[in-house]
Amino acid sequence: MKDKITCLLFVVPAAVFLLSRMKSSKTNKEIRKTYHGITVNGISMTKKEKIFIATREKEKGNEAFASGDYVEAVTYYARSISILPTAAAYNNKAQAEIKLQDWDSALQDCEKVLDMEPSNVKALLRRATVYNQLKNYQAAMKDLNAVLCIEPENAVAKKNLLEIEKKLKELKPGYKTEGRGKRILIQDIEDSEGDEEGGENAEVCGRSSRDKKIVLPVRGEAALGKAEMGNAQRKFHSKGGGSKLEDRGTQKQKESTESGLKKGTEEKKSQKTDHEGEANGYLNSNQTSESPEAGQSSRSHGAGSLSAGAAHSTSLPPAAAKLKSEGNELFKSGQFGEAVPKYSEAIEYVISVGERSPDDLSILYSNRAACYLKEGNCSDCVQDCNRALELQPFSLKPLLRRAMAYESMERYRQAYVDYKTVLQIDSSIQAANDSVNRITKTLIDQDGSSWREKLPPIPVVPIAAQLNRWDGGNFTSEVKPKSPTDINKEEQLQMNREKAEEKFRTLKNEGNDFVKKGKYDEAVNKYSECLKLNTKDCTIYTNRALCYLKLHKYEEAKQDCDHVLQIEDCNIKAFYRRALAYKGLQSYQASVDDLKKVLLIDPNVLEAKKELEEITQLLSLGGVAVADCQQKQRKKITIQEVTDEQEEGQLETAEDVVTDNLSSKEAVQKCVPSRTCEKLTISEPSNAYDFGQIVNAVNASKDQSACADLLTITDPKKLPVLLSNKLEGEIFLIFIQSLAHYILGKDPGLVYQHLFYLSKAERFKVVLALLSKNEKEQVQRLFDLLTENQNHQYSLEELDSLKKVYEL
Amino acid sequence: MSAAGLERPQVVVHAQQSLNYTVFDCKWVPRSARLLCLGSAPRGTGVLQLYELRGGRLLLLSEIEKAKPIKCATFGAASLQQRHLATGDFAGSLSIWNLEAPEIPVYSVKGHKEIINSIDGVGGLGIGEGAPEIVTGSRDGTVKVWDPRQKETPVANMEPAQGESKRDCWTVAFGNAYNQEERVVCAGYDNGDIKLFDLRTMSLRWETNIKNGVCSVEFDRKDVNMNKLVATSLEGKFHVFDMRTQHPTKGFASVSEKAHKSTIWQVRHLPQNRDVFMTSGGAGSLHLWKYEYPAQRSKKDSEGAEMGVAGSVSLLQNVTLSTQPISSLDWSPDKKGLCVCGAFDQTVRVLIVTKLNKV
Repeated sequence: MKDKITCLLFVVPAAVFLLSRMKSSKTNKEIRKTYHGITVNGISMTKKEKIFIATREKEKGNEAFASGDYVEAVTYYARSISILPTAAAYNNKAQAEIKLQDWDSALQDCEKVLDMEPSNVKALLRRATVYNQLKNYQAAMKDLNAVLCIEPENAVAKKNLLEIEKKLKELKPGYKTEGRGKRILIQDIEDSEGDEEGGENAEVCGRSSRDKKIVLPVRGEAALGKAEMGNAQRKFHSKGGGSKLEDRGTQKQKESTESGLKKGTEEKKSQKTDHEGEANGYLNSNQTSESPEAGQSSRSHGAGSLSAGAAHSTSLPPAAAKLKSEGNELFKSGQFGEAVPKYSEAIEYVISVGERSPDDLSILYSNRAACYLKEGNCSDCVQDCNRALELQPFSLKPLLRRAMAYESMERYRQAYVDYKTVLQIDSSIQAANDSVNRITKTLIDQDGSSWREKLPPIPVVPIAAQLNRWDGGNFTSEVKPKSPTDINKEEQLQMNREKAEEKFRTLKNEGNDFVKKGKYDEAVNKYSECLKLNTKDCTIYTNRALCYLKLHKYEEAKQDCDHVLQIEDCNIKAFYRRALAYKGLQSYQASVDDLKKVLLIDPNVLEAKKELEEITQLLSLGGVAVADCQQKQRKKITIQEVTDEQEEGQLETAEDVVTDNLSSKEAVQKCVPSRTCEKLTISEPSNAYDFGQIVNAVNASKDQSACADLLTITDPKKLPVLLSNKLEGEIFLIFIQSLAHYILGKDPGLVYQHLFYLSKAERFKVVLALLSKNEKEQVQRLFDLLTENQNHQYSLEELDSLKKVYEL
Repeated sequence: MSAAGLERPQVVVHAQQSLNYTVFDCKWVPRSARLLCLGSAPRGTGVLQLYELRGGRLLLLSEIEKAKPIKCATFGAASLQQRHLATGDFAGSLSIWNLEAPEIPVYSVKGHKEIINSIDGVGGLGIGEGAPEIVTGSRDGTVKVWDPRQKETPVANMEPAQGESKRDCWTVAFGNAYNQEERVVCAGYDNGDIKLFDLRTMSLRWETNIKNGVCSVEFDRKDVNMNKLVATSLEGKFHVFDMRTQHPTKGFASVSEKAHKSTIWQVRHLPQNRDVFMTSGGAGSLHLWKYEYPAQRSKKDSEGAEMGVAGSVSLLQNVTLSTQPISSLDWSPDKKGLCVCGAFDQTVRVLIVTKLNKV
């Protein structure tokens, strides 16, 4: 196609062209512009023309702006302005220049607009943006305020104003001193509690809310925390940070506690080795720490922890255990004050012994915290909770207690965070839920709608901790002491479960892959392995059922589907596959029932509809099976094993085998019969419709024997009626063939009768006229055979006259 | 109709007028509420009618009959004051008429041996820099550029080389007239060729083939640095070429859309928004489209050469007005959304397209 017009350009004399161009530029003085086309000289234009052209140029600028070509846009705006300066053009040009970050030009243009229209909101906004970029915040604020004077609801202006105010405050030294003053105020609180989220706090608050006085305390303390945290972190890492298993949350906690340790007491230092040793083991120990109750169940409690200790080789020394139980007793009787020293003694004892029992120690701290809380000594309570938590991260009780302490100290944000953490571990704790709601309300009152932004980050509870909780929840939420073996088993189980899940998934995927590749045997194996791991996954069953179906193991497929349906009583796949299995098992009624269920669940499943149709047909035909000859029986048996796909395969191979040998051909035809031949268990047609259906089926499968059956049971006299006007060449032919091959040997009289009445059928003449030579020969042969087998049922004369009717 | 449907632009027939001749082209007279219809009368003469839109009806102001059927017309090269109409007729003559005194043309030249299929003008109406020029495309296979101030000879003539077969040129369009020097002509042929002639360098700048006869080509703007070109074809497809970036070998990037089931006779860009255009189909339908630019209009290929990136087109609205092809379409240059179309059912319709400022 690359055209034949190789467009050689015939410039009708080139000189003329050039000349004409020069002429034109001379004569056309109306519009002249510089080479770059930045300006348009519109001196000679009328006012209207100017407006028209200026608007056009501006529109072109707008279009260029819309397509993102800001340089071009500026050019067109400039052209528009050069014809007729308008505020809109300047304004748009300023916007394009802002996009190009050409601040100076943008500023000039904004000012030009404001010269023309002093209260042009867009220009003011744009100038504010430019000022903002040029770091002239005062001027920007002035402009934004001007905008807000004109349009008090202008959201953009409000937003920008806030941002600029923020920036201003950052710059102003006065604000800083203010912050420092606050920080001092807060310092003692900071000391007392060793805030966990300090580091995060500092970052968040430092960024977002420096100017908010309400937040200042948090920031102050956080900043301090951060400074310390920094040291702690260094220390921590220099130690080799041997806790890779730990997640970020616990690490943070460790950091914070170590920052406490830095200034801290002797006893804490002695603990330190313990922590590091146990850092990896917190996962295990976590569970035990949950079980002991603070003071309610002193005896059993002691025992529980003791036995746990034995199992974990973290036993509480007997003396300490005794002290603890005494403390618990005192606590129970409400003598919190007295309980504290008992617990303290126990703690000291444990520490002095130096045994590795972080969980027990944690419980002791937690119990002492409970006492402090009851006494109203919130800061000590928080401290103890922190210690307990550093030993046992994400244990419920200390978290809850610390949350309560924070709440009563009116440190709602921290309290909120702790409650939230608790709820992550166990969302069923009503007290925590209530408190979260209460605190949310308080915080909204305090901080407005953006209260969430001011929260310290909520630590993410590691899944393991949650899982432990859930497992625990299975047994009881009012935790009972568990035997160490139980715990061990549980851990094991937990581990196993994770592993199993992993394995389960891989197996399933492998199975699915096999299905895709068509290797159903292997897939079945994989799925079976899957089911060993998890017997509750329905998809595995349905998948395996599919494989079984493909493998024609209908019984197994059915069982799998049954299983699924026991678990999930409306699994559509299971119904469908069971229907197929029933079909394979030839229990059509059950199959139909299942398919109906499928369609009940989802009426749009086309496959199901199709199957249903098919099976209903099978059912109607299959029900009235007329077994009249052995051939048929034999056929039936072959059919039982045939399924959709095999049929096809057989068909192909069968066709390959086909030879000229007639007998082999017949053999093929016998085994070919597929599902259609199942239908061809012929019943006597009662009306033309039935007859037509059967004939069509017969014709479709070219099943001469079935046709013979049909003709055998059909009364020849009825033939014209039954055929109605549906007689066609193909039907005619198959009649002739089946009469010749099947019926003639048995009953020549019947053949004659059929031929006789066939000739009376409607459309007979037409069909006859359309027969090919070959086909006519077949008819001729039939008549010859009839002549040979002549018997009493018809005379040769009759036959001859019939021959004439058949135009032979 | 759903609320969402109402958000889209609607095409409303404002007025329609049955004609007693076949209308080939209709044009708004710039800066007025008048429009011109021109075509072929049954007895084989040319007809030119001037209507005014008044109170929702078209009022016939004047009718002129000429010897030859008139195929196409443009105001593109006329000044805003004069508004002379340039026409091309079946005999291959280019004529310029003063509509106030239509008896004799102010300019006439037998430019082509056969029918002038298409005409376009630039340099007038404040559109395009430089000299006013008219381009004509004819069945004789030539594309000629005329300056109405120069008698008898075209300023440029683009025709196939000697011995090459001539193709029927169906459509021509000016573009790239953003300063006095630059100017291009795009021509579409019956065999699917699209050729872009650069009038400054007098060379064939680019050519392509869209496999089917090119019924209509138009630049989204004549007077900007070539931005987009839409070409419609015989079998119902149209192509939008991004004309900003020309790749040395690949040419211009394009996106194509199959819109109508039959020939797309015309494409016309909205004068107030170059990214909106309307196509008119052989089955009497009109489709309103919007072109969306890609995030980046050009990118570097493996050799580092700049190549364009085509955007996408989205259908804003379609409407079927007639059973016959709509052969001509013209947006009012003055009133956004007003447009006129002429169909082979011998009817001219004034349409209003709403909500165009919201697309």
